[in-house]
Amino acid sequence: MSTKVLEVNNINKKFKTVHAVKDVSFSVEKGEIFAFLGPNGAGKTTTLRIMMDIIHADSGSVRWNLHNNSENIPLPSMLGYLPEERGLYLDLPVIKTLVYLAKIRGMKGFDAKQEAMKWMERLDIADRAKEKLQALSKGNQQKVQFISAILHKPKFAVLDEPFSGFDPVNQEMFIDIIQDLKKQGTTILLSAHQMQLVERVADRIFLIDQGREIFYGKLSDIYNQHGNQYTIQLTFNNGEIPHIPQNISDAENIIKESNDRLKIIFRKDISLQKIMTTLSGIDGIMNIKTHNSNLHDIFLNLVKREKPTQTDLL
Amino acid sequence: MNTLQKILTVTIWEYQRFFKIKNELIGIVVMIVMAAIGFFGTIYLLSENDEKQSVMVHQNLGNAITEKLSDTFEVKIINADEKENKIHQINESREGVLIERSENGFLVTSWKEPGQLDKIREILNNYALDNNLVLYDLSRSDFEQITQTAPLETQYLREDSERQRNTVAFIFSGFLLMAIFQGFAYQFTGITGEKQQKITEQIVSAIKPQMWMDGKILGITLTGLSSVVTYTIIGVLGGTLYFQFTGAGISSILPYLHLPTILLYLVFTLAGILMWNSFFAAIASIITDPNNSGKSSLMFLPTLFALLSFLVARDPDSAGAIFLSWFPLTSASAMPMRWVMTDLLWYETAGSWLVLSLTFYFFRILAARIFRVSILISGKEPTWQEVFGMLFSK
Repeated sequence: MSTKVLEVNNINKKFKTVHAVKDVSFSVEKGEIFAFLGPNGAGKTTTLRIMMDIIHADSGSVRWNLHNNSENIPLPSMLGYLPEERGLYLDLPVIKTLVYLAKIRGMKGFDAKQEAMKWMERLDIADRAKEKLQALSKGNQQKVQFISAILHKPKFAVLDEPFSGFDPVNQEMFIDIIQDLKKQGTTILLSAHQMQLVERVADRIFLIDQGREIFYGKLSDIYNQHGNQYTIQLTFNNGEIPHIPQNISDAENIIKESNDRLKIIFRKDISLQKIMTTLSGIDGIMNIKTHNSNLHDIFLNLVKREKPTQTDLL
Repeated sequence: MNTLQKILTVTIWEYQRFFKIKNELIGIVVMIVMAAIGFFGTIYLLSENDEKQSVMVHQNLGNAITEKLSDTFEVKIINADEKENKIHQINESREGVLIERSENGFLVTSWKEPGQLDKIREILNNYALDNNLVLYDLSRSDFEQITQTAPLETQYLREDSERQRNTVAFIFSGFLLMAIFQGFAYQFTGITGEKQQKITEQIVSAIKPQMWMDGKILGITLTGLSSVVTYTIIGVLGGTLYFQFTGAGISSILPYLHLPTILLYLVFTLAGILMWNSFFAAIASIITDPNNSGKSSLMFLPTLFALLSFLVARDPDSAGAIFLSWFPLTSASAMPMRWVMTDLLWYETAGSWLVLSLTFYFFRILAARIFRVSILISGKEPTWQEVFGMLFSK
């Protein structure tokens, strides 16, 4: 029996001069955390808006299976949505807004208030419940926005950039919250560009760049298929990178990270001794760091490989 | 939660968001203070007029006129030697009035037209009339008989008290205008504010745009009606007090409460307010920046149509009045106005109301449709061509 709760098939969306989403297909399994990853402007939010029926695709289809009798967009009570463009009623008390949004999603007023208070206590903003939203800091406003997306206990939560605007401490707290929601049975689709955070919670991922799929599958698969590299980070003296031969032997990719920092990616089957010999030919190295490729490195590497031709950019 | 419950939730939310008892009370207090200032100010000004004002009278005017003037004014008689000096004083001080005889009759000299001129003219006219009556050997009563107008009695076969009904007609048209202004302000600030604060995406994911729009239109209509009811109660209380003060008694307002007229106006006014609120919602949905939008001026269109409907009062049976009473943008006040002023067949009234209600029905669908397709538009405002394109896009 299929446990797919969402199937997106070959969706396309063009705006005036941009082909924002190109033949994107994926499915989300019940109870998993599915990460939708890509840089700014990759087409993540457009895809999410198509899924949420806020805009329509030019072609392709979106099928939901949260309740048995319909493939259309599920009832609002089953869906939670944290839009990328944040916004709530700034001039109204926080608790009032949260209860209202939960009520129009189908929750009873009393239950909504209780649940809202519970969440606000967890996020350390319970004492601000009766204050107007505009009186809260940006970070706390973000927390209220997050609560409004999951307050009504949805079966499926779509969280667009849930970590943006938070400091590292709060980002950690939201990692915990997302994992807790999963434990409670909520399916989560996470769209983000902070890959180091996402790789800690996601079961499967969809990498997107310039509207097209870069990778789609289990997190473990992407490491197996594309993570077999050494990443060497070099820092140079005098804040300046010397001339580097373009074709360092065995290097898969060379990325200039800053004026004095360079990242070189080698295949894992190359011996460390050979790498050290290669590096010894480069002048001015002050510091060498090495680590296995993380999602961020893999993504950068994949994007470089998949760079579209000019004809793809309408 | 079913559709109606959701619409009701949005209705209550919008109502509570905009209808603030505190603001209404402040408005009423300001109104009472202004009325009190007007009332006591008028009393003060009138009481000042009761005091005798002074005028200078030249010796050449004669005793008879001087005596008549002294009944009304504080008279100071001046001789021919003082005249030039007094005129100079009037010119310098810019006050004072001098009355004297001239070659053709009388001459009044002052810096500018004096407040006493009408009274002075009346006294001098009476003096001239008395002289003429003596000249033609006529008594006052003879003169009054000669100048008497033709006796005319009126008899109207229509039983209703037309004056009271007309008054109700104009009061309700005023209410409609007031509710339209309220709807304009709230829909405009409500929807454009939500778009600017980027709440709309969240809302569309939580509730169908049509439900949300219906709740919004109903909530803001209720807000407008609440204000109208508040001011009506205050108006009735004020009217009652006025009648009591003026000695007319409380029964004087009862003929104005003509129930069939009020009921007819209620249903038309309600449909009219709902229709215009739907219109406002549709326009507000297109606007991205209320401060710089060329489309904001469209929000004033209803006022034009509401005022246009007053033309019915000129000739309620003319072709123009009939058109205005059926045309949905003017019928909310034009048809009840015709009902008050002339005789209509029942289906004319019912038909006009049906057309008005259908217009509301389609406007609300249009408003939701425009809102649905324009929620994510920010920055550059869509052109009309783009708006129509969006309406028929997927």
